[in-house]
Amino acid sequence: MGKSSKDKRDIYYRRAKEEGWRARSAFKLLQLNEEFQIFKGVKRVVDLCAAPGSWSQVLSRELFQNQKQEDAKIVAVDLQPMTPIDGVTCIQADITHPKTLHKILDTFGGEPADFVCSDGAPDVTGLHDLDEYIQAQLILSALQLTTCILKPGGTFVAKIFRGRDIDLLYSQLSYLFERVVCAKPRSSRGTSLEAFIVCLGYKPSKNWEPKLELNKSTEEFFEGAGIGKSDNLEHLDFPVDEGRTIGTFLATGDLNDVDSDATY
Amino acid sequence: LKPLSHYGPVTSLKVFQNYVLAGYGPILKVFEVVNNETQLISSQQLFKRNKIHHICISQSGDKVCISGSRSFRVLSLVDTLNNTPSLEEKAINEWITCCEFLDDNTLLILNSHNTVYTVDVSSKASQFILSDKVHCNEKSILYSGSIRLLDDGRVLIAAGTVMNGVIIWDYLTKRIIYNFTEHEGSIFGVQIDSTGKFMISCSDDRSVKLYDLQNGKILANGWGHGSRIWNLRFFKDQSNGLRIMSTGEDCTIRLWRYEPGHDLIQVELLENAHLGKHIWSGDIDDEHLKLFVSGGADGKVRVHDLIGRNNVQEFSLETISAKIGKEFHTKENIKQYSELPHLNLLIIITSHGSIIQYNQLSNEFTLLELTPEESAKFYDFSIMKSLCEINVILIACRNGDILQLRFEGNATQPQRSWIEESQLGNSKLTNLLVASSNSSHYSLTDCPNTKVPFILRKYSDSGVETSFLQQPQQTSFTTTDMTIDSTNSWLILGSRYVSLAIYDISNESDQVTIFKKLSQGDTITSVSIVRSQKNLLTVLLTVRDGVYLYVNISKIDGEFQYEIIHENKLSRGFIEGGFVQNNQLILYGFKSSYFYLWNESKQIEIYNEICGGAHRQWEFFRQDFNSKFIYINKSTLCIKTFNARFVKDFGVINPGTHGREIRSVCISPEAKNGSRLILTASEDTTVKLGKLHSNGSVESYWSLNHHVSGMQTIKFFNQTYAASSAANEEFFIWKFSELDAIPIVIEYSRLKPSADIPDLRIMDFDAFEYENGFIITTVYSDSTIKVWYFDISEKRFFLIIEDRYTTCCILNVNFLFLNNRVLLQIGATDGHLSIWDITNKVATGGEVKSLDEMIIKQQLHQNGIKAILPVKQAGSYEIITGGDDNALILSTLAFDQEKLKLEVKSFIEKAASSTITSISSSGDAKFLVTSVDQIVRCWSYKNYELSCESARYTTIADTGCSDSVIDDGQVILAIGGAGLSTWKLA
Ligand SMILES: C[S@@+](CC[C@H](N)C(=O)[O-])C[C@H]1O[C@@H](n2cnc3c(N)ncnc32)[C@H](O)[C@@H]1O
Repeated sequence: MGKSSKDKRDIYYRRAKEEGWRARSAFKLLQLNEEFQIFKGVKRVVDLCAAPGSWSQVLSRELFQNQKQEDAKIVAVDLQPMTPIDGVTCIQADITHPKTLHKILDTFGGEPADFVCSDGAPDVTGLHDLDEYIQAQLILSALQLTTCILKPGGTFVAKIFRGRDIDLLYSQLSYLFERVVCAKPRSSRGTSLEAFIVCLGYKPSKNWEPKLELNKSTEEFFEGAGIGKSDNLEHLDFPVDEGRTIGTFLATGDLNDVDSDATY
Repeated sequence: LKPLSHYGPVTSLKVFQNYVLAGYGPILKVFEVVNNETQLISSQQLFKRNKIHHICISQSGDKVCISGSRSFRVLSLVDTLNNTPSLEEKAINEWITCCEFLDDNTLLILNSHNTVYTVDVSSKASQFILSDKVHCNEKSILYSGSIRLLDDGRVLIAAGTVMNGVIIWDYLTKRIIYNFTEHEGSIFGVQIDSTGKFMISCSDDRSVKLYDLQNGKILANGWGHGSRIWNLRFFKDQSNGLRIMSTGEDCTIRLWRYEPGHDLIQVELLENAHLGKHIWSGDIDDEHLKLFVSGGADGKVRVHDLIGRNNVQEFSLETISAKIGKEFHTKENIKQYSELPHLNLLIIITSHGSIIQYNQLSNEFTLLELTPEESAKFYDFSIMKSLCEINVILIACRNGDILQLRFEGNATQPQRSWIEESQLGNSKLTNLLVASSNSSHYSLTDCPNTKVPFILRKYSDSGVETSFLQQPQQTSFTTTDMTIDSTNSWLILGSRYVSLAIYDISNESDQVTIFKKLSQGDTITSVSIVRSQKNLLTVLLTVRDGVYLYVNISKIDGEFQYEIIHENKLSRGFIEGGFVQNNQLILYGFKSSYFYLWNESKQIEIYNEICGGAHRQWEFFRQDFNSKFIYINKSTLCIKTFNARFVKDFGVINPGTHGREIRSVCISPEAKNGSRLILTASEDTTVKLGKLHSNGSVESYWSLNHHVSGMQTIKFFNQTYAASSAANEEFFIWKFSELDAIPIVIEYSRLKPSADIPDLRIMDFDAFEYENGFIITTVYSDSTIKVWYFDISEKRFFLIIEDRYTTCCILNVNFLFLNNRVLLQIGATDGHLSIWDITNKVATGGEVKSLDEMIIKQQLHQNGIKAILPVKQAGSYEIITGGDDNALILSTLAFDQEKLKLEVKSFIEKAASSTITSISSSGDAKFLVTSVDQIVRCWSYKNYELSCESARYTTIADTGCSDSVIDDGQVILAIGGAGLSTWKLA
């Protein structure tokens, strides 16, 4: 997300300033919630790639102020330092590192979470395939944590860029959730490939026990998970038919809402 | 759908023996270098989807492994060269960082989680065996890595991680040897030298770091890159110390030298070595071919000579004084110099009238014999010019007298003669210009008194002929350059304020013709002939502040006329001169502190020289492909010599395209000699004009720099006119013509923005021919719709309709023609298609009208309608739309008893797995759709039922735009994104 002068002119940017959100991204989560009621019945939350913290702000306001759940728990993680938010535990760490996931599990003290979200985006290099791979690693890391901490029936939301392998991801997530939707909030620019994968109704894999080990890569972690991620084939042959599904797309937010592509 | 050509990022390069291997996305190209000539000997797509990020060759030289993303492929080198690839594409289930052969039968693959696969690749039947997986217990994600086999049998892995660190570990012991953490951010390149003693790495933090692997100490930092660094190489020869090459995001190539105790010393800097952003790949062979190669996001592969670099000779005044055995006066300095290339002589004159000859072959300086009176005439003023072909030097002094020096092959002293000037009276000479045409050589004397004519002299063996040309009766006609066209005997003078004076020198009584202010800008710095025909002369004018023009001059009924046929502006600095060579336009000038020589046609910098800027004495001389830039720096004479080693296209061995994503592409409606014009508009704000040949190759001719904001759309109106739109309300009309089969273009007109500080994007436009011009509609990011009449001869826009849709951004617009009505149709970010009837409002001017009530407003897509293709049928339209929501819809539009009806006939919810970005026609009931999932799908419909006929993966990432044409029943499609590709639909 470039911070060009264009952002400044954006209505959502101005509105975020007025309403006290640290970033215009807050509206994306709010608009996702309008469509999917993802905050309902939620008490324990992990907010990955959270800096500067507008999603944590939204969650904090919702759980503590609106829903008045005093025992709610929000853990926010990012590579970047974050200004503290009421009721939010901040961890500065790399989510692709297994150690970080352990740390998060520890903070929850064995209790499951109801909602895991990740708005992560790496610094892009400009090599599209490498950038897509790193983005996929962020999502897989978030999913890794999710399988270790999310309660059955829980919700997972992650930022995606709809590139060439997005159908692989839809397909893999469909094994783990009742419903998987690719949602595009009105506050996310139409000119950007950004969208959010909203995964509802977590259904843990029956024959597979997720186990976080310090020296396992994400690929190794998911080996045997039965989510259609291809392992190395015999003779290292090139996989021809990998599970690819085109996800259901949903534009969220009212059409009469402000258009993030418009300039005034 | 068959791929024809592909231009895109060069993701890897390897120099081996006489070959340059280039990973061109999924395509492997091999070039052979023989005697300074390069040739493409093989080009094949070896991966289905993935890009080749790494190339390695076994120590025996028999086997090649290419790898990238999850794919790898082992090939025999011989088969690769012969275009007969042997084994098939293989894959692992993680990202591959790099590969290396342990021996011909064993391949090591380092994956992005820092694990090495040991693979037995001996099977001829492609039955590879994964025999081992080795790691060092540290599995953080890698951005880069390399494997080095050492003579003592050790195998070292260098792993560049996503955050800060480089891990060096031993493949056999699985032990971490070092974990270097001096960098900040991700490590994008890491290499161990062939001895295993040194390691280099580069990162986000813009530094190159050199480490000693024997003691784990950091030895040096290399600072200089302006942004991220992508690629590093050691030179092979270490006999004169360590040397390193680096390339990066700032589009520079840097060569470094290490001297113990110091930071890395930058010995060579190639700026703007590629267009746009990013030099992704590079390699060097300093031992055998003595060259280095670079590959950019612009799709170009360039070879650079390594031997003839950095050849600047420097001579201080003291050195020269000692060589000629004469003390200079304390205030004496070098005023000017001229070259006589046939004799290898450089002639130098000082402020005190000493004339020195420097023989560049024998390296001797000789003082020319002048009497003290002669020298005194040049005290503090002299203008020296050379007539190279006849080895004559002319030196004018203030009163107009000219000293003529004729040099002969062996004689150390030239023949001297004076031409005394009697015409100037009390006036002083201000300029002496020279020009040669065929075998005639001229000089022109200029003085500020407009009553004194210009004095034109023609030099030949038999003597000097003098004639007079009336001066333009204009106070400030300062002459700056002159050219003479022998076909028509026309003399052309360039001046300030982009003005020209033209004389017919075959006709003494002819009056001077002046053309003032041919374009915006300041001084014409050079005038040269591009093409000369009877009564049609084409000249190139360069203007100091960056504009260059091709101007046609002809004489009609005894009157000179001119027409600007090509105009462009260089965004890189000041232009001091230019010329056309081998149909390529070469320009030179200054940018801040350096001098550059730039190939405008190929869009490459040939060389540059940091000389301290334009405010100094300097001269540029050229001879074929070689040139010299001579300048004075701190009273030292510096001679930069450039001898081109790779003369064909100046070492561009593979042509490319834009350096950034292409946002819009269009192909001209008509073909000429089997090719059409193709225009591409890019994120970098440039528009490229090229030819699309019938075999699908794209030849680029010009990069137009008129736009300064983010490009949106480019379209042809007809074969002669096109338009382009961008942010900041930029909307330009272009006009095309041809010069000896080379397409040329001018910005014909531009729309004035509606605000002083425009910040609206003109998202799209459409046009149709009307009266003496076009009816044009432009749609804006704030929902505004405007319709204009554009008058071609007046070059004027007349606003006829202005209105607004809602508050959302309009994405596209089309004019439709049904039942003798003119309809205006838009698609917007709210997913609606809306239509107005504007039949009664179409006019050439008059009052600005509003739109009537819209006659159609219908939601088709969930959000943005990204692409629309209207297909005209008898009495109706078929409208095909593609959206951000992955859906594809076929609707019909027709009048049903005076009421227009839009009816959805076929709806495909999941027509692509990502945003649909463009729809191009491919003839009867068929069309081609691109989407960001990088799949091109061919759809057809029968009885309004859509079906997908075929789907093919495209190698162009960020697939964003397309255009198609049908030639003899064959569809040619061009797709733009992070590169450009062309396809044929059989
Ligand atoms: C778009 S911002 C998140 C905005 C946030 N949701 C908000 O509302 O304020 C993306 C964040 O991802 C973080 N990020 C990227 N890679 C990461 C990683 N490997 N581990 C942790 N955070 C990461 C970046 O530091 C950045 O702050």
